[in-house]
Amino acid sequence: MTAMTAFLRNQMRIIAPFATLIVLVVFFSLTSRSFVSLDNAANILTQISVTGIIAVGLTFVILCAEIDLSVAAIANVTGIAVAYFTLQEGYVNIANVPLPGVAAILLAVLGCFLLGMVNAAGITLIGIPSFIMTLAMMQIGAGISALLVRGQIAYAVPDLVSLLGAGRVAGIPCLVMVAAAFLLAGHLVLTYTRFGRYVYMVGGNREAAEYAGVNVKLVLGAVIVISAVCSGVAGMLGVAHFGSAQQNEFDGYLLDAIAAVVVGGTSLFGGRGGIGNTIIGLLILGVLNNGLDHIQIDSFLKILIRGLILLAALIINVYVQKVRDSA
Amino acid sequence: MTEEAAPPLELRGISKSFGGVAALRDVDFVLRRGEIHGLVGENGAGKSTLMKIIAGLHSQYDGRMAIDGKPVHFRSPREALAAGIGMVHQELSVVPDLTVAENVYLGQQPTRGGIVDWRAMMEGARRHLASLGIEVDPGARMGSLAIGLQQLIELARVLFSGARIVILDEPTSALSPPEVQRLFEVLRGVRASGRSIVFISHFLDDVLAISDTVTIFRNGRLIATEAAATIDKGWLIQRMIGRGHEELEGSYTGAIALNSKPDAAVVLGVRGLGAGRAFADVSLDVRAGEVLGIYGFMGCGLIELARTLFGKLRADAGTMAIDGKALRPRSTAEACRAGIAFVPESRRSMLFHAEPVYRNMSISVLGRIGRLLLRPSVEKEIARRHVQSLSIRPPTVETLLGSLSGGNQQKVALAKWLTWPPKVLVLSEPTRGMDVGAKEDVVRIVKGLREQGMGVVVLSTEPETVLSLADRIVVMKKGRIVREFAGETVSKDQLLEAA
Repeated sequence: MTAMTAFLRNQMRIIAPFATLIVLVVFFSLTSRSFVSLDNAANILTQISVTGIIAVGLTFVILCAEIDLSVAAIANVTGIAVAYFTLQEGYVNIANVPLPGVAAILLAVLGCFLLGMVNAAGITLIGIPSFIMTLAMMQIGAGISALLVRGQIAYAVPDLVSLLGAGRVAGIPCLVMVAAAFLLAGHLVLTYTRFGRYVYMVGGNREAAEYAGVNVKLVLGAVIVISAVCSGVAGMLGVAHFGSAQQNEFDGYLLDAIAAVVVGGTSLFGGRGGIGNTIIGLLILGVLNNGLDHIQIDSFLKILIRGLILLAALIINVYVQKVRDSA
Repeated sequence: MTEEAAPPLELRGISKSFGGVAALRDVDFVLRRGEIHGLVGENGAGKSTLMKIIAGLHSQYDGRMAIDGKPVHFRSPREALAAGIGMVHQELSVVPDLTVAENVYLGQQPTRGGIVDWRAMMEGARRHLASLGIEVDPGARMGSLAIGLQQLIELARVLFSGARIVILDEPTSALSPPEVQRLFEVLRGVRASGRSIVFISHFLDDVLAISDTVTIFRNGRLIATEAAATIDKGWLIQRMIGRGHEELEGSYTGAIALNSKPDAAVVLGVRGLGAGRAFADVSLDVRAGEVLGIYGFMGCGLIELARTLFGKLRADAGTMAIDGKALRPRSTAEACRAGIAFVPESRRSMLFHAEPVYRNMSISVLGRIGRLLLRPSVEKEIARRHVQSLSIRPPTVETLLGSLSGGNQQKVALAKWLTWPPKVLVLSEPTRGMDVGAKEDVVRIVKGLREQGMGVVVLSTEPETVLSLADRIVVMKKGRIVREFAGETVSKDQLLEAA
């Protein structure tokens, strides 16, 4: 085998999702008149930004061969919490506790951090599998959200949150910039720090990492907390972006975030992939969701088509992994 | 043997290569009726490849195979089994949660009216096992039995499914001497019934004790086939490695002199250490510049002791101290910080196969190279030094670990502790499953570490390993230390006797 083909095999994890993305873009460009435009590109980036911030943390978790099912619930709680601590208009019927903006933000971030700590403690200290622990946290998060808003809708959030979630600077949505900053920070941490290396090693072979003296429980706990904090930030900005804070607002984001990470090529078995893959995965989902709205088809059929295209992307990825592993 | 009938198994001109590398070259192999045929050779000599062809695991090969004179070409293990060829792998494939009888009848339970006929199954299993001389309650849960008994029951299952040719891969590696004797009795009974056995093993004494005929492989070629009664171990070793090998051989056939250092400082002191049912009341002193060998049979608590020293298992009694400072590691990271390093017995559980060599070496010392950020150039530089000094092949640090041979992987596993040498290095089965050349390399590396003043603990169930490395030897039996050899000569016999 030549060096070139060896190189290509190694890069297949990124090449295959990238090819999927190109195919989708070409397809929608040819079938829709309105798809190709600068405005629409900005639309797509805005649409994937909230998912993107959640997916950063989830990438860390999945690289460790764990899962976090509580991301959407924690996003929802944090978004509601920041509104709960902000002065609402008179017609909003919530017994809330208005605080200065900075305090509201700090309390909300502290909240998602603590929920992440509870997750981490359950997984590493008690030994509950992450799938089960975060499933419980999903319910707990939904419960706290319900208690805070009691079926009502809150609208006001601190100015800073409102700016970052819904504002623009130099014509570019701040939300997109925040998502880009999170993705970049995630990439730098994973690629250039000791902690990032540990994340890959723990995912690649947990037992070997432990025998090499790596504090595996600390690494696992840290990725779970990172995931919760990313979700919390996404939740706050999401509330500003949507213009309201209410129950079940983020329900679709759990599967979207997992899909973005995995469709991008990060292995569910841990140790392989990264933020680069997650970015491609986010773009695939974004182009797919946006593109289907630009072509003339039955809107009820779109859900099915979306599912089928995701399935196809996953099949390609598994196949690529086999090609690579047989090298 | 006369030629009144065709042999049960005959192979002619078998060749097989993997991606251009020849694993077998023009091998002729004949197995006779009622014969126990020993198969020896270093790792990678071709014996496993040949057995995998026979058992239907490799279907692409050149040459001809015949069963009872009839040409066959198996495309799957199922076809091989249907033709009467069964295999007992080193890693047992029993179902621990089922009963002995269910394991014997696996996949072919007797039924009556569509319901499993338990009475017939228990009775049938009891009779079948008794006919092989195996006394065990067929209703016992498989997982509750000793490993040696489980192995016998797997052998019984293979025979029960109709195998007339049984391939045993390293059957004695996990057995104590009495268990080996019991296995041999059963095998002699199988032989007397006219069935044939292929016995693959690194344990040459076992091969010579049980086999009628022994075949030696080297570099994919069949070197010789001889009657076991006419040859000895030295003769076998010479042909296996293709050169004289008095040095290593000498280190364990006769008595070897131990070289303990009673005056050196104690680096690791252990007093009354115990963990659950695994071991109890273990007291040890490991001195600087000394290799302490701990020998015992499989299941004597060695593996658990090694893990407890490294903080992977929690001790429930006793104390440990490094340089006189008390230590009770609750995690491997803590043990590591205190200066203890550990190389476990399984390469799978200590290396990252999908990562390059240099990352495998740097993982334990990343914190010393840079607190927060990685410094790949330093990592690679350190790795290059190790690759060179340990002559790791291929000599590049970017190679993925998975593509290295077993011996080279073992060197990488050792290398990760050599950059900033620990105070105490705990090695569990450092030479298991390695060929003679790689074993010598490991011996040389460990002796080099001793010269640097490191305290080394070698735990092994192979007396040769302990004898070739240790300056002082303690023997463990059923979780307790029963004997210490220091400042005297000791032989393999003495070790076996003490354990």
